Amino acid sequence: MIKLLILIFLSFPVFGKNLYFTRSGSVSFFSSTLIEDIKAKNDQVTCVLDAESGQASFRIPIRGFTFKNALMQEHFNENYLESEKYPNASFSGFIEGWKDTKFNAIPTPIMISGEMTIHGIKQKIKENGTIQMKNNKIYGNATFNLFVADYGVEIPKIVRENIAKSLSIDIELILKKK
Amino acid sequence: MRKFLIIFLLSFTFAQDDLLSFLEDEQFVPLPIQGTFKATRIVNAQSVELPRSKTLEFIITHRFGTMSNGFYDLYGLDEASARFDLSYGFNEKISLGAGRSSHKKTYDFFSKIKLFSQKSTPSLSFASIVLFSKVEIATIAKNENFNNRLIYDFQLLLARKVNQNLSIQIIPTLIHKNLIQRFEAKNNLFSIGLGSRIKLTKRVSLNGDTFFPLGGRGRYVGFTQSWGLGCDIDTGGHVFQLIITNAQGTYESAYIEEANGTLKGGDVFFGFNITRSFNFN
Repeated sequence: MIKLLILIFLSFPVFGKNLYFTRSGSVSFFSSTLIEDIKAKNDQVTCVLDAESGQASFRIPIRGFTFKNALMQEHFNENYLESEKYPNASFSGFIEGWKDTKFNAIPTPIMISGEMTIHGIKQKIKENGTIQMKNNKIYGNATFNLFVADYGVEIPKIVRENIAKSLSIDIELILKKK
Repeated sequence: MRKFLIIFLLSFTFAQDDLLSFLEDEQFVPLPIQGTFKATRIVNAQSVELPRSKTLEFIITHRFGTMSNGFYDLYGLDEASARFDLSYGFNEKISLGAGRSSHKKTYDFFSKIKLFSQKSTPSLSFASIVLFSKVEIATIAKNENFNNRLIYDFQLLLARKVNQNLSIQIIPTLIHKNLIQRFEAKNNLFSIGLGSRIKLTKRVSLNGDTFFPLGGRGRYVGFTQSWGLGCDIDTGGHVFQLIITNAQGTYESAYIEEANGTLKGGDVFFGFNITRSFNFN
């Protein structure tokens, strides 16, 4: 009985909104320098979009990034992003002009702004992306750059030439209705 | 009832316009913990770390002579006992390797198999478990039956990364010697090893390991409990481990059963391990 009540209480606010979500969104980053290119991908992005208000949040488990070079992956977790201390990166914000955004099968440009938290440091961001609606699913896409230094990630002198100051980020999400 | 009230209250905060609180309710995918130790050795002892997937790892372990002779041989620096060690990680779970030590001119072949990884969620996955096995072939005696040259090592490496700065490891060990020199000694030697790492900075840590013998070692064998203290320095491509230990050999039967140094009079050995990884991915 109690369980049932709990369920009702928990589901109320969720069903009250028109939510779309995914647990397997992907994000990748790319660092390019004269010395080497570094790429990592993460397919464990959780994202929620409130289709009524245009609010969006996502969470990225830092340990979910996979690199080609496993040593790099370990250094990424241990020395740079400190994933033990800061297990997740997250974003919370909204899509601007949501009410006027048209949903259709053609990717529509949008502007998304909000707060990005990486390595425990919060930064306001505002980036371009696209959104489209196909088969009752929302497809979201964004490509932008961010500066490593903005999020307090220290890069030691010895590898400063190997890691780009600005990383190219690519986000791809397919959201299903909750 | 109290539980119900808590949930009731929680559901209120839930009703606020924060979408991330909805995310909090999502189940986490448990991910394996990384970097319990920096290198595949703690000091002398094997750590739960394997060479990474598709990575060839080259280790030079080097121990100088005893420091007890003082300035005469520059605290042992005139002498050396070295080991070259190559191992390859086929994937995250299996690695094979071979080594050659100048101590008793010993060749060895070994494998590490990861049975279980510590995961990021609490529950039952609280430790990493690795099976380590090795066969050693001592070639210092010229006329010896091949079987008599063999020594087998079996270890279960049980390690937990308690937090970012502290890792601990327990090492139940069996060493089987085909040939024993004195009738008091046994063919099967059991011991329990303990190892630990304390991180000082992101790239520097203090490490220690020691082995406690289980059962007698025989009156004439002259057993000394082995220990090693080290400092790991991770430079990115290499891991340097600076070491003080009471064992000069750096393969299992040598450092666990044949340690002979004592702190008294400075009869210990200074040394280092250098680990270099080559990625083939």
